[in-house]
Amino acid sequence: MIKVDKVSKYFQKRDGTDFAALSNVEFPIRDGEFLSILGPSGCGKTTLLKIIEGLVKPSEGAILINDQPVKGPGPDRAMVFQTFVLLPWADVIGNIAFGLELRGVGRKAAREVASTQLEKVGLTGFEHHYPHELSGGMQQRVGLARALAVNPEILLMDEPFGALDAQTRQLMQEDLLNIWQEEQKTVVFVTHSMDEAVYLSDRVVIMDTHPGRVEEIVDVPMPRPRDPDVRRTPEFSELTSHMWDKLRDILKRDQATAAAEAAKKGA
Amino acid sequence: MSSNMVCAAGIDDALSESAEAADTGSPTDVSEGPRQPRRVPAGFSRRFQAALPYLLRIISVGAFFVAWEIYGQAQETTLFFAPFSEVVESLYDQVQTSEFWNAYRQTLQPFLYGWLLAMATGIPLGLLIGRFTSISRISGPYLSFLNAVPVSTLVPVVVVAFGIGMTARVSVVFLFAIVEIVINTAAGVRFVNKELVEMGRSFGGNEWQLMRRIILPGSMPGIAAGARIGTGRAVIGMIVVEVLLVSVGVGRLVDRFRSRFQGAALFAVVLSLAIFGVAMLELVRQIERRALRWRRESGLDA
Repeated sequence: MIKVDKVSKYFQKRDGTDFAALSNVEFPIRDGEFLSILGPSGCGKTTLLKIIEGLVKPSEGAILINDQPVKGPGPDRAMVFQTFVLLPWADVIGNIAFGLELRGVGRKAAREVASTQLEKVGLTGFEHHYPHELSGGMQQRVGLARALAVNPEILLMDEPFGALDAQTRQLMQEDLLNIWQEEQKTVVFVTHSMDEAVYLSDRVVIMDTHPGRVEEIVDVPMPRPRDPDVRRTPEFSELTSHMWDKLRDILKRDQATAAAEAAKKGA
Repeated sequence: MSSNMVCAAGIDDALSESAEAADTGSPTDVSEGPRQPRRVPAGFSRRFQAALPYLLRIISVGAFFVAWEIYGQAQETTLFFAPFSEVVESLYDQVQTSEFWNAYRQTLQPFLYGWLLAMATGIPLGLLIGRFTSISRISGPYLSFLNAVPVSTLVPVVVVAFGIGMTARVSVVFLFAIVEIVINTAAGVRFVNKELVEMGRSFGGNEWQLMRRIILPGSMPGIAAGARIGTGRAVIGMIVVEVLLVSVGVGRLVDRFRSRFQGAALFAVVLSLAIFGVAMLELVRQIERRALRWRRESGLDA
């Protein structure tokens, strides 16, 4: 189990004052759970994910995984990036094997694992293609396979489908659910799409801005395995419209604050 | 070095392939004969398009040699300025002597050592400078110094310090080449996608792995540029030390022919050096093309 334990993160602004990206964020993430973090830009959701990843240190609080505090990146976690972040000079197999190789697995063994992952994400036949020869969706499949290849207990996903077109996005969501169903991994999924959050998740953490904090944690009680058609059910609309109500309030308030600040500067 | 001088002749003239091209100054010269009607087959046109860059280069160099020949023939004596044909003749004669090749052997040895040493130290140093601010700060003054001072002025210092032996000549070649290699490599590192480095860290890569698997391949464009410029500079260093101070190898040939007013022989040696320099650059360019294939194919290069 992961425990986000009273995590705060301050950054220094250019004028020297502190800016609270995250303030006292606290919630548990259950084993095998698919949890989304939903919020408008500026709510610190990506920062929170990087703190769980271990590359960003919290200013206060800690991430506890099975009661052990996170001190850096570890073999129990793997990240899928919004911009894919593939090596342009390596082919598909080389990219999928890369994470394993960094963890000390020999080249040959890493490539063997990579081949099985390649099949899992539906890229058979593209072993020796280079990233620039692939569509965005296929590039993210490589990114996903690279993360799965190291066999982490926790999959961290930072708006992984944010850079894809709507159709590709939907297909990727369905495939991700199938993979998750088989692999039984804990997924922490950052998104700003309510639709995506509800369709994929067991629970959705809605985050508020200024400072970034937990606004509400919403249970998504729809049955698994989840058919893509759940999007047309009344429960689905109810959940997304509830989230939209929350997010709209946050956005409106932020807009008003920004306008007031601009007016103050202008005066 | 030669191609720049014919630019004045203009591209249109050069294309007409006329021997007088180099002497006619205007690019819109009407004396190139009746124009061909524009009804060439598509295949020919496309092949012509593909060959055009090479054609232009060949014509440019050819025009330069023609101009050289004409100017040389116009001289009263070939003692000081030999026409191109005599230079080629002299070169042809010289390459059949063992003296010529011995001179090159003497010259190339320090060049090779200095060049390899500059690459072997310059690339790792550039990688470290690009990656670590502290190393950049420590080595900054020395690089600025080497960059600001014409390296030729250091040649006497090197000779005083190391004499005129192999060490001195290797040092000069090294000093000429090292700065560009280091600076370009370091610049290459700074252009490596930061997200890739973060991804490597996220997957638990240690500093050595990040360096070898991400920074090194990612900064290949800078390394290649540094190698290319550094090689050119190493060739300069190789010649400078021999011509200016230590009369050995090819430099001794230059010295001798100069003092005996053997213009054609002197020019022939210089021409052979130019050929060597161009060949070295071409070699580096070919290695670069191989190393950067991913970059060209992924459309990162124009």
